[in-house]
Amino acid sequence: MPRRKPQRRRPQRRKDVLHGPGGERGDAFRCTSCRLDVPLTAPGTAHRNHCPHCLTSLHVDGRIPGDRRETCRGRMAAVGVTARHDGEWLLIHHCLACGKLSANRIAGDDNALALLRLAMRPLAAYPPFNAQLAL
Amino acid sequence: MSNDIPSSVLRTTAFPCVRCGLTVAAFAPDGRRRNHCPRCLYSQHVRDQVEGGPSECRSGMSPIAIAVLRNGDWELIHNCTRCGELTSNPICGDDNQFILMRMAVRPLAQPPFPLETFGDL
Repeated sequence: MPRRKPQRRRPQRRKDVLHGPGGERGDAFRCTSCRLDVPLTAPGTAHRNHCPHCLTSLHVDGRIPGDRRETCRGRMAAVGVTARHDGEWLLIHHCLACGKLSANRIAGDDNALALLRLAMRPLAAYPPFNAQLAL
Repeated sequence: MSNDIPSSVLRTTAFPCVRCGLTVAAFAPDGRRRNHCPRCLYSQHVRDQVEGGPSECRSGMSPIAIAVLRNGDWELIHNCTRCGELTSNPICGDDNQFILMRMAVRPLAQPPFPLETFGDL
């Protein structure tokens, strides 16, 4: 019986959709969750880091936003919404690979239904205490 | 948790709250270790989340948001008032429910878009 040695698979070709320091397609990024091509220019914010359709982000930044120092590159799911004192909404992202949290302002073209579902989630889930006692 | 400290000592350890000064027992009634004051929900930045290990910041962390886990449990998101780092911790049974509810409804009180259109959905 001939011995079957598993063939080494050809390494995957590098995709050119990443907007990295190499300069490939620096005006857009592709969402890791819904594969939407997202342009970097957004109404209302200069620092778009999440998909406007599904609000998913990518863990590429370290301590400073935009420094690209992080090697994790895990998918970051939006877990919560908070409001600043001036009324600006912030999205809280949670890295599914390493568990780090980050906050980012929402953009003008973010999916309003997804944002509202996220904001309603603590109230829609059954609160872990008797909410009538708090009022 | 080291083994050479007897459990009776651990059960009685306490820390003062950085904001309201309340002396807080380090263990909640359900036996879990807690990191925030049950009265004002403030925490202290003692652990570096980016690189791990202890942090030298040691300033107060204000509660900013509530995240819901898949099993329906609430998690409290803290934001360091000095360096801006974020942490998350599960809530305890004796946490101030008034502040928890206020945090949960605060984004809905200041919506960035009109909410009337969602009534038709």
